[in-house]
Amino acid sequence: MYRTLVLAALAGMIAGPALAAGSCSTAEKSKFQPKATLEAQLKGEGLTVRQIKTEKGCYEVYAVDKAGKKVNVAYNAETLEKLDNAEAGEN
Amino acid sequence: MDAVRVWDPVVRGFHWTLVTSFAVAWFTSGTMEAVHHWAGYAAGSLVALRLVWGVVGTPYARFSQFVRDPATVLRYLSAILKGHEARYIGHNPAGGAMVVVLIAAMGLAALTGWLMTTDTYFGVPWVEAAHGLVVHVVLLLVIVHVAGVALASFRHCENLVRAMFTGRKRKAGPADID
Repeated sequence: MYRTLVLAALAGMIAGPALAAGSCSTAEKSKFQPKATLEAQLKGEGLTVRQIKTEKGCYEVYAVDKAGKKVNVAYNAETLEKLDNAEAGEN
Repeated sequence: MDAVRVWDPVVRGFHWTLVTSFAVAWFTSGTMEAVHHWAGYAAGSLVALRLVWGVVGTPYARFSQFVRDPATVLRYLSAILKGHEARYIGHNPAGGAMVVVLIAAMGLAALTGWLMTTDTYFGVPWVEAAHGLVVHVVLLLVIVHVAGVALASFRHCENLVRAMFTGRKRKAGPADID
């Protein structure tokens, strides 16, 4: 019983953030949205995009907002869903 | 064994914590951002501390004791090739030059890394490229530095790695330079 609880807690710790944050695409690169689409969307949000890196199934965005503050976010490369963790594709 | 105190605790502490900072930074690049940043801040602070200690520190820690003009360094390098380079109690001319170059490169690595976290240079490709380049230059220098230490240890029959832990070296013989 104790063991099961510990295992469940550990599983929760691992899965929890992943579920809350959404995840990177597992599809082939050919299924990814073009970077230009994401860039246009970000420009529409008022961001100045400095770089978009492909990290596994994610796009990591390096940008600054209108106030000049840095913005670092990751998007699912297939759905362009915004993720909570900017390093989602790196780990 | 007649030994003299050469490397003070600040020099030794600086050396090994800088080694640790660089190793930690190297292995946490792109995976553990927070740890990587702290390793970089540590390296930058250590370099700043060493620059001050190089002016106000104990005799063998001072830049004025071991920084020589390029011609002397080249002469020493050529003496190494001919196999008759003198043993120095402090840094030999080549070692002194390596200290300067390593400190400069390490400082530049910390600086460019920090720039990457600022609003102004965040995500700017050339800053990232510069950081990557400088860090690889540091790695290359570290390899040459370790090779130089191994060579000098071998040639003068002394363990310079141990000296960087104990601070002590065999006292100067008649042919040695203090």
